[in-house]
Amino acid sequence: MKLYCLSGHPTLPCNVLKFKSTTIMLDCGLDTTSVLNFLPLPLVHSPRLSKLPSWVCKDGTINLEKRELLDLSTIDVILISNYHCMMALPYITEHTGFTGTVYATEPTLQIGRLLMEELVKFMERVPKAQSATCWKNKEIQRMLPGPLKDAVDVWTWKRSYSMQEVNSALSKVQLVGYSQKVELFGAVQVSPLSSGYSLGSSNWIIQSHHEKVAYVSGSSLLTTHPQPMDQSSLKNSDVLILTGLTQMPTANPDGMLGEFCSNLAMTIRAGGNVLVPCYSSGVIYDLLECLYQFIESANLGTTPFYFISPVANSSLEFSQIFAEWLCHNKQSKVYLPEPPFPHAELIQTNKLKHYPSIHGDFSSEFRQPCVVFTGHPSLRFGDVVHFMELWGKSGLNTIIFTEPDFSYLDALAPYQPLAMKCVYCPIDTRLNFHQVSKLLKEVQPLHVVCPEQYTQPPLTQSHRSDLMLELQPPPMPYRRCSVLNLPFRRRYERVYILPELANSLVPSEIKPGVSMATVSAVLHSKDNKHTLQVMPPSKKRKRVMEEPPVVLAPKPLLSGAVPLEAFLATLQKHGITEVKVEETADGHILHLQADDTLIQLEEDGTHIVCDNNEPLRTTLRDLVLRFLQKL
Amino acid sequence: MLITHTHTHTHVSTMDRECASLLPSVCEVLADSGRSVPDDTSLEKLLDWFTGLTEAGGSLLEACPCLLKFISTVVHNTASDPGVLSFTLRLTGLMAATEDGFKMLQERSVLNQVFNLQHWQEAGLWDDPCLRIGWIQGLRSTLQHPKALSFFVQSDFIDPLLQLQTDTSLFVASAANQMLAHILLFFQKVSSAGSNGVNKKEEDLEPPAITMETSAEYSAVVKGISEYLKESLIPKENTKLHQSLQILKLLALLLAQAGPPLRDKLLQTVTESLEELVTAGCSQLTLPLMDVILAANSSSCPDGRVPGQRVARILSSMLSINNAADLCHAAAALLRRGHHDTVHTARAVRILLLPLDIITGPTLLGTNTTADEHLFSVVEQLKSKTSCISMICVCLTNTPQITLTPPGVLPCPPVLIVTAVVSLLRICSGSSSSSSTGCSEVCRNVIGSGKVQKCALEALTALNSSPGAKEKISEVFTILIQYLDNPDSDPTVLHKSYQALVKWIRVCTDLSLITDQLRQDLVEVVKKRACDMRWEVRDSTVEFLGHLAGVHVSVTLGEEVCDASEALLGGCCTTPLLKEALQDTESYVRASAISALAKTLTHSWQQGAALTEDQTEIVSRLLEILSQDTEGFPRRAVVQYFISWFFSRSSHSPPSSSTSSTSLLMQCVRTVLSQGSADLDWEVKVHTLELAELLLDQAFSAHRGYRKGSDAHCALQHPYGVVSDQAYTLHTHTGTHAEGVQSDLARVVEQGVISALLSGLVDCDRPVALKACRLLITLRETICPLSLGALDATAAMATVSCELLGKGWGQEITKILGMEKSDRALETDISAQRSFSGADGGGDSVTVSEVLRSLSLDERLEVLTQSSDHIHNSPLSLLQDILTASAAHTHPDTKPGQEVIVDCY
Repeated sequence: MKLYCLSGHPTLPCNVLKFKSTTIMLDCGLDTTSVLNFLPLPLVHSPRLSKLPSWVCKDGTINLEKRELLDLSTIDVILISNYHCMMALPYITEHTGFTGTVYATEPTLQIGRLLMEELVKFMERVPKAQSATCWKNKEIQRMLPGPLKDAVDVWTWKRSYSMQEVNSALSKVQLVGYSQKVELFGAVQVSPLSSGYSLGSSNWIIQSHHEKVAYVSGSSLLTTHPQPMDQSSLKNSDVLILTGLTQMPTANPDGMLGEFCSNLAMTIRAGGNVLVPCYSSGVIYDLLECLYQFIESANLGTTPFYFISPVANSSLEFSQIFAEWLCHNKQSKVYLPEPPFPHAELIQTNKLKHYPSIHGDFSSEFRQPCVVFTGHPSLRFGDVVHFMELWGKSGLNTIIFTEPDFSYLDALAPYQPLAMKCVYCPIDTRLNFHQVSKLLKEVQPLHVVCPEQYTQPPLTQSHRSDLMLELQPPPMPYRRCSVLNLPFRRRYERVYILPELANSLVPSEIKPGVSMATVSAVLHSKDNKHTLQVMPPSKKRKRVMEEPPVVLAPKPLLSGAVPLEAFLATLQKHGITEVKVEETADGHILHLQADDTLIQLEEDGTHIVCDNNEPLRTTLRDLVLRFLQKL
Repeated sequence: MLITHTHTHTHVSTMDRECASLLPSVCEVLADSGRSVPDDTSLEKLLDWFTGLTEAGGSLLEACPCLLKFISTVVHNTASDPGVLSFTLRLTGLMAATEDGFKMLQERSVLNQVFNLQHWQEAGLWDDPCLRIGWIQGLRSTLQHPKALSFFVQSDFIDPLLQLQTDTSLFVASAANQMLAHILLFFQKVSSAGSNGVNKKEEDLEPPAITMETSAEYSAVVKGISEYLKESLIPKENTKLHQSLQILKLLALLLAQAGPPLRDKLLQTVTESLEELVTAGCSQLTLPLMDVILAANSSSCPDGRVPGQRVARILSSMLSINNAADLCHAAAALLRRGHHDTVHTARAVRILLLPLDIITGPTLLGTNTTADEHLFSVVEQLKSKTSCISMICVCLTNTPQITLTPPGVLPCPPVLIVTAVVSLLRICSGSSSSSSTGCSEVCRNVIGSGKVQKCALEALTALNSSPGAKEKISEVFTILIQYLDNPDSDPTVLHKSYQALVKWIRVCTDLSLITDQLRQDLVEVVKKRACDMRWEVRDSTVEFLGHLAGVHVSVTLGEEVCDASEALLGGCCTTPLLKEALQDTESYVRASAISALAKTLTHSWQQGAALTEDQTEIVSRLLEILSQDTEGFPRRAVVQYFISWFFSRSSHSPPSSSTSSTSLLMQCVRTVLSQGSADLDWEVKVHTLELAELLLDQAFSAHRGYRKGSDAHCALQHPYGVVSDQAYTLHTHTGTHAEGVQSDLARVVEQGVISALLSGLVDCDRPVALKACRLLITLRETICPLSLGALDATAAMATVSCELLGKGWGQEITKILGMEKSDRALETDISAQRSFSGADGGGDSVTVSEVLRSLSLDERLEVLTQSSDHIHNSPLSLLQDILTASAAHTHPDTKPGQEVIVDCY
């Protein structure tokens, strides 16, 4: 069993598991941090941005953490754990010869589609006149300014995919529900479990009859909107692949949420605007829910909230219909005349308004001071670019970063100097180290495989030995391009016996409660299923003119041990008296000096070394056999 | 216990006839095992009553001869309720507490019957803890004179009593312990008198007949008990800790109070066992053992006698036991005792500083920490999370104490301890690594621990007074602001950070030590916390702003003094935040904001500064809160706001000027009085009456005979407090006095003070009515003085009248007046009646002085002063209750005491 690690990013994993003749890709996250090397794509022409000297324009490309470690066309299935971890799907399934199936839950597919659609729209909305690729040449890249000069693997950066590719990729998705068991070629069974992180997010169990691999991706134990994490099904795994822990181990989500609210209220009270760059699904639901309660107590009742995204409407509406994927509290609301999420009420009361873009209705209804939720969190494309240009100059306004994926300082770099107040409260609800060590203590996997980042304290906080995984036995770390031999050997395989064959067996008890029988049969293997069938009558073979097989009666199998004292006594009875017993590591050697013969009694075998004296040998053999059981 | 009873029952010191007549039937009820007692507490109350009677000097036997019969009936009836039996034992003890009583009971051999152990054991009643405790307490009451001691010794009660010390019932065990201590301590003077026969004069209080016999008996008791202590102090097995624990408690009790002969005797006997116990190293016994050692150590004189030295040695070995956590507790106990021996104190200080030193890096104890031989064991203990947190908290709690120890004792300058606590706080927040290597395992245990954070903040708060604190102020401010800013700080941590900040601001004589950057950070963080999601945090923030306004500092050395909120936060921050907080959804926050505003504005009120727009706005918002807020807290705060405004208003500003804040205040007072006295919350009403009191003070304090009610709390603040002496000079000018009073009275009526008082008087809440009644009496004494030729004054006063509304309290008052009037109608002018009785709807006008005299205020005051349950608490009602309950329970099916089973000894 091998694990190929295509991504070194702990929260955007892409691993391939080869297990029992199947090749399973676990997630295909897309690391988009490379966009930070590019200038923002303004919706409205920005003289300032276009005049910035030391920034390279053009080329909206995206980095894909993938190497030619293995042929993507050999992948049988892709298991997706949440919508953030499927953003590279078109790069895997399109133009690679991929013919397999993708498994994901319905919310993952639908919201993943929204996020991809948003990404594509953001890119295609502002078409660029030219595109350049020559700069990726190492010789030229070396002459480029700034951080770009030092960027690694720029050849792996790719152009953003198109809507057509998205649709094609998503057409390969097959929907599954929690705990549904999917058979893969009869060899393994895969099954998603609720992971509590986002709508439809899942961990996966990959098991055969005798082995169990658990794949834990972004999971959360906090009570937010999704169904709670299913922990018990992870128990008794041979290997647990652990990815997607919180990126912000020192930032407690509750504290950050409080920080978010108080900074928001503070800005609004002072007459400023608040900009929240965020993804159009996920934490935003919780933010809106939290604000729903907070605006009352903070007297912010009249401040408008705007949610601007090409998919804003769908995102808000989708969240309300995936009832079965929600936490119990929200599920029960489905049977009431109120929607599960309170943002519906915010929309009804006109406190929250959503628009596909800043163009159109928004510009006429826009009222300040206000709170704007919009993408993209990298601040390089999407409507957020416009608001940065609009509000950046005033110290009254505040930008609050809630997504942990991008360094906020890097994101802000092209907008400097900035008068706007910046608040960084990354809300990452994924498991922290404390929770995960508790979880692992509970589910007790034999081995844990995890990104190497988890095996040491964060670089910036090397004294925090509490921010790492400490396990016994220590976890197996992987990095990008690692190929791990997973540390367990498959020892058993399930084989079925047909009833008629079973009927013909004659078991004999070798010790109380254990019986044995010899079987002669034909092993039939198909679709990774093994069956023992009755041997066909030899007549049949004759008819097809084959050589008749030499069917010998199978020799009986021997079992038991030869007790030394009793054996010596028996030998003596048969007139063999001159026996020299020598003790060896494995048993004894009996030297029959008169006959120049050796008998080696060992734990798992007995050898009689006797030259040219066949009668003696057979006598000795029969004496040995007296002490053994035959089957 | 006993003392409180004498207070509550002084009025029943002699038994009244009615009670005496009921008692026999009550005794009959109690003695009848078939009938039930209302509940356990009634027996307790009955006993309390008897105790009160005895202590007042009465003899129970003489007053109620029926008790004797009651006792013998109950004792002989083994079917008696154990509760009643216990009661009887204690009653007997009470009666035998005097020598006369004792003699009489002994003559009738009641005592032998009552305290006969064998009898109770044979009857199978001894298994009931209730009976055992009755036996102990009964005997204890008896043991007040040598005769009782003889009885005790001759009956061989000492062994059973020692057995009871480890009784399965905690109450019994503890009572036995108390009893043992009582015997030894109470009779110790007897023994010293007996043995050397001197100092007789000093023992006037002791019973007169001190015979050699008593002394011998006492010695026997001492010997018996101390032998027992010696034998049983060491637990035979680890499971028998209970006995050792009990003995240690007893020893601590004895050593703390015993005089020299007894103490020395005890120490001689138990020292060896104590030594053994220390080396046994039993964690659960550490603290009680330390109590004993410290008690022994502080009582043994430092004259270098052998027992003293031995005790000191034990103390030393106690401070070098192996278990690090126990060691910390022992050291903390030593410091708490305020022990003065420098060697041990220094040792304890080192022990307590070591864990801090390990976590924060070796600064406190110098480089020779390796000399602390238990270093290894401490580090090991600190690696476990629970013991780490508990040890660190013990250390932190004691740091303020440590800094107060003499300089020779401290291993480092006190200011380093402040540094250590600050570094610990940094480590706790995860923001800093420890500078010492190899203890990251320890540090991770405290990261994010709220308990350690709270303890450290408390310690830091208390450390503000330690020497050299001033130089640390900037560092302390930095860490506190960091805590306030930290999103993960829980509300209590934030609250404590604020408290620490206020305390530390007091440290700096000038604020130049605090950089602009720090001030700016503080402003930002306070603004942020004022918008926090959690109301507790908003509340603490608002409170902090108020406290800050109350601290006066100078901005730079020697410059003019201003309040800290202005100096630190700049003037533009506090008031807007507080105004915002008046709108808060949480009532506590609104209330805190109101109090904080009062504190913030006090300075400008005192200065008589011109009214700002802000202030006017605040006042109208406050009046809105008073009339509309649904919660009581903010409304109370509003009334208090006006009270403190009234207090601190400048006496210099001309009241006529419309821009002065005083004129606005006087405008508001009327509204506040009328709204406040009509409030539903009784505390709002009481506060309103306090405001009314201030107005009365202002109006009449210059007049003769006025007793200022608020004198107690405003002696200094009141500018006219001194004038009251001069009032007597006006004595002769009766006319002037009357006229002055008249105009003042008119003003007071106009302000609505009288209405507030009258409405308070008929209020259904007792505190409100009481307060109003007292104020009205004061007022009556001022305006209708009896000594002043009543007619004169009354004539002048008659012109001042006030309106009575036709509804509510007005109607109530009218009714009272009407009744009073009709009583007196025969004697007085009928025409006057008309002005009172015509109140059917529209409202009526009455003369203030007339009202004051007609309300029978003194009678009302008497009724109101008595607590509301005074009727239900009388012995008579108790006896009646017992009788009624028994009558109700005589139903054959009910078994006694089935419904209420309370473990109440």
